[in-house]
Amino acid sequence: MDLYLPIAEMSVNAPLLIALGAVVGFISGLFGIGGGFLMTPVLVFMGIPPAVAVASLSSHVAASSFSSVTAYSRRRMVDFRMGGILAGGGIVGAFFGVEAFRVLRLLGQADLVVAVSYLLFLGVIGALMLWESLGTILRRRRGETPQPRRDRRPILLYALPWKMRFPKSRLYISVIPPIVLGVFVGVLSAIMGVGGGFILVPAMVYLLRMPASVVVGTSLFQIVITTALTSVLQAGRNQTVDIVLATLLLVGGVLGAQLGARASARFRAEELRALLALVVLLVGLRMGLGLFIQPDDPFVLVSGVG
Amino acid sequence: MAIALPPPQPPASVSATLTETDVRVTSGFRGAKISVYGAVFDPSGRPSDVVVVVRGPVQPVRIARKVRVGGVWLNSRPVVFEGAPGFYRAASTRPLGDIARFGQLRKLGLGLDHLAIAAPAERRVETRYGVRDMVVSALGADYYAWRAAVVRLKQTAGLYSADAGGVAFVDRGLFHARVDLPAQAPIGQYTARVILFQDGRPVSDRTLPLKVEKVGMERALYLFAHQRPWSYGLVSALIALCAGWAASRAFRRS
Repeated sequence: MDLYLPIAEMSVNAPLLIALGAVVGFISGLFGIGGGFLMTPVLVFMGIPPAVAVASLSSHVAASSFSSVTAYSRRRMVDFRMGGILAGGGIVGAFFGVEAFRVLRLLGQADLVVAVSYLLFLGVIGALMLWESLGTILRRRRGETPQPRRDRRPILLYALPWKMRFPKSRLYISVIPPIVLGVFVGVLSAIMGVGGGFILVPAMVYLLRMPASVVVGTSLFQIVITTALTSVLQAGRNQTVDIVLATLLLVGGVLGAQLGARASARFRAEELRALLALVVLLVGLRMGLGLFIQPDDPFVLVSGVG
Repeated sequence: MAIALPPPQPPASVSATLTETDVRVTSGFRGAKISVYGAVFDPSGRPSDVVVVVRGPVQPVRIARKVRVGGVWLNSRPVVFEGAPGFYRAASTRPLGDIARFGQLRKLGLGLDHLAIAAPAERRVETRYGVRDMVVSALGADYYAWRAAVVRLKQTAGLYSADAGGVAFVDRGLFHARVDLPAQAPIGQYTARVILFQDGRPVSDRTLPLKVEKVGMERALYLFAHQRPWSYGLVSALIALCAGWAASRAFRRS
């Protein structure tokens, strides 16, 4: 059954999009990420204008993240205070990101920046995460005790001013690192059409040293706020949110997210991380490949006539 | 001795109609098939050729060239081509080159090779769309490669086409042409121009209006998104949050 998208101005196969939303939603609930980094490339591949795909996705990511964050908060796995501070930074970042994306689109460099960001962030983070989680898995198989963390009190977190207590995460750290992290993720969220979970989750584990149990829920909480705002900004500033596209995706997405959040209980944290790392790495390499292989046609039509 | 002059003949003329003048884009829109029917009135019965050109609303095209910089393929600065129709289809009874000469086709803008699109020829660097130092045209010798790329990419997208044989005479003087609008055809005012050629010269033509418009839900949403973008954004965000909440409630019960 085909459906015409009023903003993208093309027709798409509705059941296919719902199924796609469900698959990405499942992954989102399973790993505690928005799943946008998977969805954006697929939508663009389907011929949806990148600007519309990126903007409409934020609303899908907000929906599926909201669906799973409620599941996590019932199990008391969300640090709302930390999430709020990250989101505060995220809001600022989203404003800059939407403006930056607008300028990039007009310069015709949006594709390039998107491809480079994917290659860089997904590639590096995927590789690091894979390395770390495989190490953990191997050590557990051999029956070794997990390596103690070398530095229990990183200077970055404790030497900076404006310390704050985060009882849920059992932390007493400066608010500056979380805010900076939030801003950074907010900018990426607008440019890459992602929630930023794939950066937040490892950053919370390795940089902020948050307990693994609250990381996923807190990351989702931050993503809900940032992406909901991004979708309003994209609609208001660029008129690129396609409500029909977003609704199709989120119908599948919210259901998938619930199933994913349930399934996540059956896996060990490091196994999930290894799997996520692999997915992240592959998507990053696939997106970055376009930068290096010779294009079929040396010319491209650029969207965004002001 | 007087030569018997042939009686003055009325000039040949063409008339045509579209099977649909108002294409309505609804949620189930999957493109439209439109037919052009027409007749050639020519008592002298000279050989006639008919060209049907359907043009969509004019949309500037922005195109960039991939250039290799340090092993990485990057987009060059985008070039803007003005005057490009959002949809273009030229159907004719024979290849256009056999119907009329180059100059004639160029003058009338018939066929993909003669589309009147241009990146304003002089080299100008100016501020456009709020972006500084944008190259509007500095293509030089590559100009034709760029122009051909615009047409080629639009053809690949299914928006430009030429069909030398798309107009067929179904009966004496009666012809028929089909125009398939793809689902991604732009919204707006189209024109279908029907031109009768005899001996390589246009002798008669008709221009028929064709409107492609969103109706019902599609129109309402489009207008909402463009006229009240901020409320639209809030509504779409609310829908997302409600859907997420509803799903989590539904699953909690089960």
